[in-house]
Amino acid sequence: MGITRRIFMVTGATLGGGLLLGIGGVGAHLLTHDRLKFQREGSEANGAALINLWIRITPDNKIVVINPHSDMGQGSSTGLMQIVADELDADWSQMHVEQAPADSAYSNGKVFEGFVRETITPPVWASTLLENGFYRMGDLMKMQMTGGSSAVRFTGWESMRHAAASARQMLVTAAAEHLDVSTESLVTVNGTVAHSDSGRSLTYGELASAAAVLDNPEQVQLKSPDQYRYVGQPLARTDVPAKVIANADYGIDADVPDMHYAAVVTSGVFGAQVKSIDNLSEVKAARGVSDVIIVPDGVAVVADNPWRAEKAVREIKFTREPHTNDMLSTESLVADQRKALADELETAMTTGKPDDITATVSAEYLVPYLAHASLEPMNATVWQQDHKLHVVCGTQNPLNAKSRVAKEAGVGIDNIVFHARQMGGGFGRRVAFGSSGDEPLNWLIQAVRVALDSGKPVKTTWSRETDTRSDVYRPMVMAQFEGGLDGNGNPALWRSRSFGKEMNIKAVAPLYQIPNVAVSFADKSHSVPTGFWRSVEHSQHGFFVESFIDELAVAAGVDPLQYRLNLLAEKSPAAKVLDKVAQMSGWRSGIDDQGRAMGVALVNSFGSSVAQVVEASMTPAGPKAHRVWCAVDCGVAINPQAIEAQVQGAVNFALSAALYGKCDIKDGGVVQSNFHDYRVVSMAQAPRVEVELLALGSPIGGVGEIGVPPLAPALTNALAVVDGERRRVLPLV
Amino acid sequence: MIKLNVNGVEYNLDIEPEMPLLWALREEAALRGTKFGCGIGMCGACTVHIDGAPIRSCSYPVSAAVGKQIKTIESIGTSDTPHAVQQAWIAHQVPQCGYCQSGMQMAAIAMLNNNPQPSDDDIDRAMTNLCRCGTYDRIRAAIKTAAKELV
Repeated sequence: MGITRRIFMVTGATLGGGLLLGIGGVGAHLLTHDRLKFQREGSEANGAALINLWIRITPDNKIVVINPHSDMGQGSSTGLMQIVADELDADWSQMHVEQAPADSAYSNGKVFEGFVRETITPPVWASTLLENGFYRMGDLMKMQMTGGSSAVRFTGWESMRHAAASARQMLVTAAAEHLDVSTESLVTVNGTVAHSDSGRSLTYGELASAAAVLDNPEQVQLKSPDQYRYVGQPLARTDVPAKVIANADYGIDADVPDMHYAAVVTSGVFGAQVKSIDNLSEVKAARGVSDVIIVPDGVAVVADNPWRAEKAVREIKFTREPHTNDMLSTESLVADQRKALADELETAMTTGKPDDITATVSAEYLVPYLAHASLEPMNATVWQQDHKLHVVCGTQNPLNAKSRVAKEAGVGIDNIVFHARQMGGGFGRRVAFGSSGDEPLNWLIQAVRVALDSGKPVKTTWSRETDTRSDVYRPMVMAQFEGGLDGNGNPALWRSRSFGKEMNIKAVAPLYQIPNVAVSFADKSHSVPTGFWRSVEHSQHGFFVESFIDELAVAAGVDPLQYRLNLLAEKSPAAKVLDKVAQMSGWRSGIDDQGRAMGVALVNSFGSSVAQVVEASMTPAGPKAHRVWCAVDCGVAINPQAIEAQVQGAVNFALSAALYGKCDIKDGGVVQSNFHDYRVVSMAQAPRVEVELLALGSPIGGVGEIGVPPLAPALTNALAVVDGERRRVLPLV
Repeated sequence: MIKLNVNGVEYNLDIEPEMPLLWALREEAALRGTKFGCGIGMCGACTVHIDGAPIRSCSYPVSAAVGKQIKTIESIGTSDTPHAVQQAWIAHQVPQCGYCQSGMQMAAIAMLNNNPQPSDDDIDRAMTNLCRCGTYDRIRAAIKTAAKELV
């Protein structure tokens, strides 16, 4: 096996002959034992050949795409299959998909690399080094994450597409050797390599084991868009039928022999531990109850039925340790943020001479902490079997989860058998990363403790109340803005101050052409556990930026859609999606005779541009979004119907937050508990959502999160037209 | 003992009369297509039919279901013979995470049984289940397709 092949294993993508040789010295020391081991085992299993890390071809000519990401219904599995099928000249009936095992061979450095490339643009020579370096970092961090809208655009388009094209060429080379003809005389069609001169052909399945031991080609010929048969088609998602027919394959549906059930209540104060149970004998006397266990941040009851466990855990009286968070409240946290914005600012970006311009418009915005509220509450099933610890759990990062379980159990990672399951919603909750230092896999750690301390196979399931009160929350953020206009009404000054340690300047700075800009932030952490919530910083800063530009348009007396267009390069994707959404919605400023008005917002996120128009009115029950139009540029649209679904869903997700979503903090914990006080839109509140995708030749962008950020500002911008009131604090109801 | 008739099958269960039906179905009868979402009858993930009417089984004691016909998603259709609602759900590519969809389908089927040609307002009133992925546009479209098929 040559060095080039092994680098291919590491990078997952061919880089062109010259570059490939150029990085030989770097790649060699990054080879990981696990990747090679995996390759060999895969090649030897059942006569099927693992052509590379992501593609396995079986003797009966099935092509199996191994998805290193978790498909939560966003459609990434189907999208990856479409990419691979096209590059391989496969027939759709051959295509299958399976989720990669929780193994370091499938850690996903591409995700990190993608993030880095978005934040800073490395020079070309550094890019190849980053590719390798970040793969190694991925290994070290035990990453197998699905997040940041990365599965299709980074893993799929940047890596798997090249891997599939390489595989096709390796199959052709193997066929040429077998038939003793030139590679140029062969064509690939519907999963076979054909020699038209002689009429002979071989299936990929017949060629796979010979192809798998070949070196990767140094030059890879990718398909051109006019050759695509599957990319760009609205194919049916492969995961849908099973989800419609009595589906029982979520984490919560686990069923293992002698399974017990645990319910958990939290200590009630972030970070505070339970010291003692005051009514232990009473609780243990209840029917079916076997164990009462103090777990991190709470206490659990084990019983022979989940309802008995839940009933018992609600009867527990416990003593909690005193904690510095005891007095924490929304009021104190808001005051802290306002003080930090006055006293502790750091500069993130300065353009022009903002201090020379007089501010004439100012505004302060505030958005609250938010729970994820996945419909399937957090749960995990843990048991010991054959000297291994088994775990059933739905997570957006199975490898990281596996490693955390091993650490908690005090055993090596090879002693953990991780059974990944479908997730009833993720939205960032199950990604295994937080931003505050609190444990984001807190439910899983509790489940491990319960199983180990009770010595029983246990399914630990959080109640909705525990789920709402034990989240890693979307951060509450206050932001203050000052603006000034030039003689034509265009912005001459844009100054913003916002609270928060995590800074993605692309999310925070305006995307408009403004000569004098000052962006600063208070580099402070939260006392409340915080994490990643669908669209991350864009969910807060999209609201701030797109509200304030609207305020400037109003101050200038210019139509807000035209105002934005005036500040964008004419041919930019941002301008194009704005033009498109104006056309789709029949954009009008002002209020109509039914009391309805339109508002617009535009947010670039995850490499895509989305403009939305919301048509809204005020009703006796509060604000109502009637219709939403979305114009989207996500570059290459792999599966348009799946993209439409993601954007439609994101609108409702964002609308729930804009109308109702908040987690108030009182006495160190979250006040809200269930869907009666943490409301989610239902059919009657859901607007009609129309989505159009633009083909502008842009690079491929993300899809799963991009529909969230523009919704709240487009809604409040519309309401400002309806009744003249500028709503700067969410939620609205 | 509590005697329940679920999907035409008799179950004799040694459970408390006040146990919510959901937990008897999921963990005593091992019918796990019916889902737990909130425990207070708000989200509808646990929707099943009792004598044809949609009820939220997380807040419905088993004692109230004795002597009645309980139907769960498991009785609605199979991969080979999906119900018209399930066919429409697949044709419109409704589910995302899919967790709410068994309850959604049970609510839709109960509505269509009572009201074969629902208006948009009827759909708004009858379909009060929650979908966190926000698939409402496609649920509405699928209900209309299924209504045409069921005529």
